[in-house]
Amino acid sequence: MRKIIFILWLFVSTTAFATTQKIEVLGMVCAYCAQGIEKSLKTLNDVNDVYVNLEKFFVLVESNNAGIDEEKLKNLIVDAGYTVQKIENINETIQNVRSKYEK
Amino acid sequence: MLLVKSIIPGLLFAAINAFGAPMTFKDSTVLMIEGAKDFKRIESSYAVSGKESIGLRLFNAKGQRRKVDGGGLFYLNRIKRVNKTNSQANLWLYLELGQFNLDKRNVEKNHIYLSPSIQFDYETKRLYTSLSHQVLRGAHENFDRTQFKSGFSFYEASYEKTQPWFILEVMNMNSLSKKVAVIPTLRLINKALFFEAGISTKGEPKLHIMYTF
Repeated sequence: MRKIIFILWLFVSTTAFATTQKIEVLGMVCAYCAQGIEKSLKTLNDVNDVYVNLEKFFVLVESNNAGIDEEKLKNLIVDAGYTVQKIENINETIQNVRSKYEK
Repeated sequence: MLLVKSIIPGLLFAAINAFGAPMTFKDSTVLMIEGAKDFKRIESSYAVSGKESIGLRLFNAKGQRRKVDGGGLFYLNRIKRVNKTNSQANLWLYLELGQFNLDKRNVEKNHIYLSPSIQFDYETKRLYTSLSHQVLRGAHENFDRTQFKSGFSFYEASYEKTQPWFILEVMNMNSLSKKVAVIPTLRLINKALFFEAGISTKGEPKLHIMYTF
């Protein structure tokens, strides 16, 4: 019973404290080029998942803490060759957003 | 004069090489292979920054009564990129320096070559266009090579899915051929994999694969 409670607590706490940042990116028109964004962001500590959406030109980053430093995110995306238009926190998990767009 | 003479065959070979701007993001490594009836090449490049890449190339080519084997170093610089919501435009500078062995009528000789190129490309999720020009001059001759590629994607694909394209390649090489080569090509892109297969209007197949690590 304690084990189950611990696992439930772990699941809830992980979900509750996860932060999803949405980055609107200019110039992201091709998967071959945009893979650089995904690979670079996944090298960051605390990043759980990254989601790239070419259709709506945004990238989501899910992390365990209060979020990744915006300047760090911006620099990585600029190094991948793109322009960052906006970064904001959203109240959705990557899993939810992915299920909306990927059918 | 001697130097110019020795460079010419190298320029001829360099003209055979397609300029593909094999660069993606900082610290990435690109492996590329390209093959057609009379030439093959393999190369690897490393992106030292978001704008610059350096690489090594090995090649083999055959022409009328001549064979060439060699390799060289190249430097690629993305001079300018303009990012818009629905499009991306780039201006690239490409410099290559190398050495090769030319077997001409069974007489072998080593040569050094230097070749600069410039390329402009523009793409959206459904359209692609590029224009490149390679400056190849020597001994009162002009071996400049101009290449134009343009095409469209059959449909818009999500990031995880394979996107197919139809690309028409048109190429002209001064002094080497009076005819313009036309190569209809199928291009497939799936994240780290870039694949092109085409058949020229003369019926010669061409294959081009890039993978990014």
